[in-house]
Amino acid sequence: MNFKKILVAVDTSENSYRAVEYVGEIVGSSPGFHITLFMVVRPPSRDLFPDDASYQERIKTLKGEAKAFLERAEQKLREKGVADENINSLYQDATGTSIAQNILDFQQRGLFGTVVVGRRGVSKAEEFLFGSVSNKIVHYAKNCTVWVVE
Amino acid sequence: MAAEVRELVKRYRPSLSLASYGKIYVDTTSFMEIGYGDVIAIGGLHYLVLRDEAERSYGIEDPKYWVKRCIVLETGDRAILKLVFHESFDLKLGNLTVRCYRSPEKEARILDLVRGDMRFMQGRSERDAAGNVVRIIEVISGKRLDQAVYEMEEDHEAYFFKDFPNILEKFIGSCEAIGFLHRNGELHGDIRRDHLWIEHRTGRYRWIDFDYTYDFAESPFGLDIFGLGSLLLFLAGKGIYRLQELEEMGLDERSITSFSSNDFSLLYVNRIANLKKIFPYIPEELNNVLLHFSQGAEVFYESVDEFLADLRPCLNHLKEAQK
Repeated sequence: MNFKKILVAVDTSENSYRAVEYVGEIVGSSPGFHITLFMVVRPPSRDLFPDDASYQERIKTLKGEAKAFLERAEQKLREKGVADENINSLYQDATGTSIAQNILDFQQRGLFGTVVVGRRGVSKAEEFLFGSVSNKIVHYAKNCTVWVVE
Repeated sequence: MAAEVRELVKRYRPSLSLASYGKIYVDTTSFMEIGYGDVIAIGGLHYLVLRDEAERSYGIEDPKYWVKRCIVLETGDRAILKLVFHESFDLKLGNLTVRCYRSPEKEARILDLVRGDMRFMQGRSERDAAGNVVRIIEVISGKRLDQAVYEMEEDHEAYFFKDFPNILEKFIGSCEAIGFLHRNGELHGDIRRDHLWIEHRTGRYRWIDFDYTYDFAESPFGLDIFGLGSLLLFLAGKGIYRLQELEEMGLDERSITSFSSNDFSLLYVNRIANLKKIFPYIPEELNNVLLHFSQGAEVFYESVDEFLADLRPCLNHLKEAQK
């Protein structure tokens, strides 16, 4: 694993944006680093919507928000001095039941030596009911360094 | 229209006498208008509406206007018709708020999935003339499990050693049923004490009401698992306990003051999860399962299988103690 190959797992939250800022600050124009912004989104269940139109509208909104976030995050990295050719971003629909597992699968396949996540700080009850992507990543990550940005 | 209904009743159920005869509905969109004496015609059968179903919560009757208690005129069978009502609302669970959605499509899908599996309520869905997914549910002759347990007259110790092992065995079967839903990518969505029934004739435990759903990104089954834990807490304790109940039970002050926040439920922060402090004869391994749902828990069950892996040995232990 190459620790200079950094996977920043993001959603559209401000915590994620802070993680991107932090990575930009640390890496800046240092040579040899490559940063991948990776967003895994679980499309909402169709069951939550009374009709197809409202469901498709929500999907469209979510994709638009994801795209806007990734553009804003890339821009922030460039502002911090990271060269354009050392940044790329990817969007993926979640598969299975765990976004954290999707991120770690991608990390293993891409031989990323560093994984960065933002964390909003959830209570125990929230973690039980809703789960926590960052906690799962800390718990299950192998062969890499994990940075958790709060 | 009333004459048509009168004619239908006379033809199929001549012994029935109604106080009023209403209309025949093939489109159930305006479910609030449909009431006693009306007939819903769907799937080739006629369902005479007797009343709206209601849920009792904290002593208050909460009418469910979209759920109709019916008689099938052609067969005389009782049936419950659940009409389409898309709603979303905030559900308060202790200090947390969860956005909840009612999905007729989800319930119809689960009814298909569990057809013939008597661990669940049975039924089918039909589309009415307007395309609404109407669920036609077979009535379970039975009683809420929690009521049955609560009404047992013996004290806790007698209940725990005599009745609870058999209840736990059946409850484990009910948990396996929820595991089956999860393996098929479905969640129950509303695991509460009043949604597990004992069928009178067979004694079987059966889950009801599958139309709630939620949007959880990373822990899709977390709420179901927490529901199972809360139910287990009730069954093991033969009730729910808060500090004031302990005072009423006559527990000494030293015991009462020994409770810390870690002994209480993770979500319902006034409910005691550490039952062993009240009933010292509760085995350690069962109490440890309960403590996974307490504020002191450091690890949580992520699947029904994990929960059952800890719970099944408790049953073996209790059965051994019974011999």
